[in-house]
Amino acid sequence: MAGTNGYLSGSNLERVLKNGHFAVTAELGPPQNADGNIIRKKIGLLKGCCDAANLTDNQTAIVRMSSIGAGAILVQEGLEPVIQMVCRDRNRLAMQSDLLGAYALGIRNLLCLTGDHQTFGNHPTAKNVFDIDSTQMVQMVTDMRDKRVFQCGEEFKGQEPRFFAGAAESPFAHPVDFRPYRLAKKVKAGASFIQTQLVFDLEAFQKFMEKVRELGVHKQTYILAGVGPLKSPTMAKYMRDNVPGILIPDELIKRMTAAGAPWAGKSKDELTPEDKKARTKAWQAEGIKICIELIQQLRETEGVSGVHIMGIEWEEAVKPIVEGAGLYPRPVVTEPQAA
Amino acid sequence: MEYLQSLLKEIGLEPERARMFNLSAAMAGKFVEAAKEMTEKVTELGPNPLKSKMKDER
Amino acid sequence: MIVAEQKSLEEIKKLVGNAKKVLVAGCGTCVTVCFAGGSREAAIVSAELRMSTKLAGDPKEVADVTVQRQCEWEYLDEIAEQVQGVDVVLSLGCGVGVQAIAEHFPNVWVVPGLNTKFMGLPTEQGVWAERCAACGDCILGLTGGICPIARCSKSLLNGPCGGSLDGHCEINAEVPCGWQLIYDRLKSMGKLEVLMEIQAPKNWRTSRDGGPRKIVREDLRLVSEEK
Repeated sequence: MAGTNGYLSGSNLERVLKNGHFAVTAELGPPQNADGNIIRKKIGLLKGCCDAANLTDNQTAIVRMSSIGAGAILVQEGLEPVIQMVCRDRNRLAMQSDLLGAYALGIRNLLCLTGDHQTFGNHPTAKNVFDIDSTQMVQMVTDMRDKRVFQCGEEFKGQEPRFFAGAAESPFAHPVDFRPYRLAKKVKAGASFIQTQLVFDLEAFQKFMEKVRELGVHKQTYILAGVGPLKSPTMAKYMRDNVPGILIPDELIKRMTAAGAPWAGKSKDELTPEDKKARTKAWQAEGIKICIELIQQLRETEGVSGVHIMGIEWEEAVKPIVEGAGLYPRPVVTEPQAA
Repeated sequence: MEYLQSLLKEIGLEPERARMFNLSAAMAGKFVEAAKEMTEKVTELGPNPLKSKMKDER
Repeated sequence: MIVAEQKSLEEIKKLVGNAKKVLVAGCGTCVTVCFAGGSREAAIVSAELRMSTKLAGDPKEVADVTVQRQCEWEYLDEIAEQVQGVDVVLSLGCGVGVQAIAEHFPNVWVVPGLNTKFMGLPTEQGVWAERCAACGDCILGLTGGICPIARCSKSLLNGPCGGSLDGHCEINAEVPCGWQLIYDRLKSMGKLEVLMEIQAPKNWRTSRDGGPRKIVREDLRLVSEEK
């Protein structure tokens, strides 16, 4: 294998995981414009707090700076990117050529996703692609790396792209019974790591992991549980009611509501801007606290190899979360892979 | 009936020009009432514009 | 069947334009069964056109005729004379019917009166739903007779995406999740193991992506000496 020291890609994320560290990735949402400085600002918030940062690919079908373009800035600034790629916008030709480019730019981690349907986004009249699905994308990318072939079967003449390739799973989306098997399928296709949808309901997640362990999948891939800070009770309820695959126990909603209790019962007009600011702060503090507790419990869960922190346009929260969870500073892995 | 009224509207005619009354042969009173109601309605709406167009053509 | 829906009268009037003589051509097959372009609809549309254009002070001569199938030359021959005598033919056939008229009568101006929607079936009185995307390489044998190409909004081949909730698709609560349907059916038939197999990327060449499609059956063809 043409890998370095037995690594598939040699990325920092791969080295951290293969050497048994509890990994931390964080999400970085590229802007809806062409300002690279926004990326640099967010890099400042995440650098040192995570092993790699995920760059979303036209998240919720809204046009944003490309994950590869933003990823190149991360490479320049010394924060390792995980580029996300969805099946919605590219056919197999475009995917492969973009991956060649991404590799040439120094990008080494890839997350293969289906992608939200375009009807959600700001171009609902667009034609979608879905030439291949996320499982097939994983297979295509790992075949490019391990068999040195394009999807069509043609062999590479020259450098093949060597990505540490992962996929996503939404443990609570429906049909729930199928989710562990779907995960197993993606792993069979070659996914080296899995990042999950946001987990708030630990009990439900434990059930999912039980099945995953029964299938032995946790030994064939690194599972990074998705976590994120709640910002307010309203946001929590909105996510619970509107985002498929997100379960938020009443207990957590109660805690968020309680955090805002000192200001409860007052109408919008009665609250001074200072009140509102203080309430927001109280909510955010509780959201971060909940997130830290979740991480600590996830760390104890057999088969969970790390966490993926999704701030959802609140990258400032990542540092306090990582510090609070005792995951700071991040390990520096320079040694070759443990045998 | 609703469909027919929507067609009339699309054509550019008043949908109230067509209506359906449900009554039996023995319900004379109701019939008179319905006939009166329709006569009033149609008088209010004026002559069928299609008919007047036809006259224009002649 | 092919399921279609009538265009608005306003759009139809625009398409007909300033033609004086119009023939509304209905079709007696699929679009009759879905109440979009049969003889009944052809009569209604021609009456609508007649009345509304008269109201607008631009009366048109509108007649209607319905053939058994607009998509076969033989049936179109029956209306050759009527078609030739008008300024425009408003076809209430599906897209195939409109094109068959254009192809068969090179000097006739034909416009569509319907929007051809999909291949599907009536699920209840007045409701039609898509079932087949004509991908050209049927995989229904792998999915328990429910098509993920036509019924999953993302045409996924290896199972549902993360947007499936309570049996419906993420795009709309009115749209059933195709993969939930497949899962439930395979489960009830005791065949879930079928879903564990990784399906390779599909060959879309047999679909529209391979260019316009055509089938040639040499066994059925009239050889040249017979012609």
